[in-house]
Amino acid sequence: MRIRAALGGIFASAAVLGIGWQFGSAAASTFAAHAASTATTPAPTGTTAAAAPAPAASAAAPAPAPASGRSGTFVGDVASTQFGDMQVEIIVSNGKITDIKALKLTDQGGRSVQISNYAAPILRTEALKAQSAKINSVSGATYTSDGYATSLQSAIDKAGL
Amino acid sequence: MSNRIDERRMASVRAQTAPDRRHDYKMRMRRSDAMVTALWASGAAAVALFLFYGGAGKFGTVADTFTSLGIIAGLLGTDFVLVMLVLAARIPTIDRTVGHDRAIAVHRSLGKPALYLLLGHGVLLLIGYGMASGINPIAEIGPMLAIPDMPLAFIGLGLLIVVVITSLVAVRRRFSYEAWHLVHLLSYIAVLVAVPHQLSVGGILASGSFERAYWLALYIFAFGAIATYRFGEPLLSSVRHRLRVKSVDQIAPGVASITLSGRSLRSLHSAGGQFFVWRFWTGRTWWHSHPISLSAVPTDSTVRITVRNLGSGSNAITRVPVGTRVWFEGPYGVFTDAGRTAPKLAVVVAGIGITPVRAFLEDSNIQPGEATILLRASTREETYLWDEVLELARKKGAHVYTMVGKRSRSGRGWMTEEDARRRVTLRSIFPDLKNSDLYICGPTAWLDLVEAEARANGIPEHQLHTERFDW
Repeated sequence: MRIRAALGGIFASAAVLGIGWQFGSAAASTFAAHAASTATTPAPTGTTAAAAPAPAASAAAPAPAPASGRSGTFVGDVASTQFGDMQVEIIVSNGKITDIKALKLTDQGGRSVQISNYAAPILRTEALKAQSAKINSVSGATYTSDGYATSLQSAIDKAGL
Repeated sequence: MSNRIDERRMASVRAQTAPDRRHDYKMRMRRSDAMVTALWASGAAAVALFLFYGGAGKFGTVADTFTSLGIIAGLLGTDFVLVMLVLAARIPTIDRTVGHDRAIAVHRSLGKPALYLLLGHGVLLLIGYGMASGINPIAEIGPMLAIPDMPLAFIGLGLLIVVVITSLVAVRRRFSYEAWHLVHLLSYIAVLVAVPHQLSVGGILASGSFERAYWLALYIFAFGAIATYRFGEPLLSSVRHRLRVKSVDQIAPGVASITLSGRSLRSLHSAGGQFFVWRFWTGRTWWHSHPISLSAVPTDSTVRITVRNLGSGSNAITRVPVGTRVWFEGPYGVFTDAGRTAPKLAVVVAGIGITPVRAFLEDSNIQPGEATILLRASTREETYLWDEVLELARKKGAHVYTMVGKRSRSGRGWMTEEDARRRVTLRSIFPDLKNSDLYICGPTAWLDLVEAEARANGIPEHQLHTERFDW
């Protein structure tokens, strides 16, 4: 009887572990595929709607008009960190950043993902409030914060804000 | 001639009862094996959560390997702690299947591994994270504490260390049971304060995931079982049955039979041989509770327990005034007729261990000639309830042997010097031992000796039934 319990325990455990491993490797490969597809996304999908003059041309002009007229989605550059790549896109409406989406978050090692998941919403809220990439680092998520700010700044540059 | 008739009757009785017992035993073992399987599987499931998250691919670098092992240790250690809570919850199914003492033995055996795993969890992750950010593990503590919910997790680990250390045999002796138990309750807090960091720092249990639902279900099951069977059910039962002390009879120096009166006590379905954990509501005794066996089968309005003065707690209990309100938890234990598996019955009992045996004999359905009982006492004064047991044995047709005197120094330690010299053995008292269920009750050291001799005689493990009287 004890033998049956031991065998039952071993087989049940093996089955549970097998299922976990199977699903885990499936999840890892879809994750990799997803990451690959986001990486090949064409960079700036932003369109300049109302403002006809290029931002470079109006750089000298003190008029606030060009900035306020900008709308669209702008993808920032990939910022590499020790814990993986960071990339964000911003959604701009009439020169205001209305939303920030993280396309890639640091994901090297279990903890980076945890930290990213926890830090990204905080960074997003801060950046939306500041309307710039001048945001405080989230404690315990310094690399993630730096990468986020770098990618965000490049997106802001592309949008010409 | 009469012997032959007896035997034939015995055989027919055996034919009637044996299949039932075998069936009951099979069912019990099936449940027991299912529980052991579930215990293994829950550990495997904890590791599988990590694999499910893609953990198998997270052993690429040395730092990752440390981190991954740390996460696995944390999941497994927490699973062990939750299993321990379930085992200590006195869930009726578990008690009826393997018995509370066996469940607690497993609970104890998991204590140290759980602590080592959780300590390993902390140390491995400090090393893993430290290596990843290029600093030493000690320096990593600072950034770690900066992560929200982590300070709580550190506190939880600290509490757990205290709980396990106070439970080590050597340390536990220095504390009273109540002080130890109070410290032990800290484990509830330790397990609970660890939850936030598992959910927020742990990406494995991300919000909205199946893993998170499973993990929280484990917590709810463990704490639900504790809340129900350790607190809710005993409280309701105590209120419902309204037990009060009816009489206290000193039956020997320092030993009293206490009769309690209450309402609809049959609905407790307590079997002879079971015990309850009692709490007597007097100013001196309300803060400690004691496991004490019934010494008679309850009627619908009364139960009787017999208790010997042991330490300060029991000492006070034998002097509680009539009318004292009594709360209880139980019934517990499998030292009952329900545990029978063999056609014959052998009972060996010493000292105050007689109490559950007295109730067990009264409750058990034995045929004349089926049972043999050995009563053991150090002195004539310690032959508690022997008159009642002899009377029961006479009525039910059981053989009784008695042994009174100090333990043998030369021969087998569980019997008297005189019997040892006469070359008495367990086999000579119970010639049919291999076909008997052996019920042993008494002080642990004595009981271990009897049990060892029974095993040496080749009695199957499932025919051994013991109740250790450490209190």
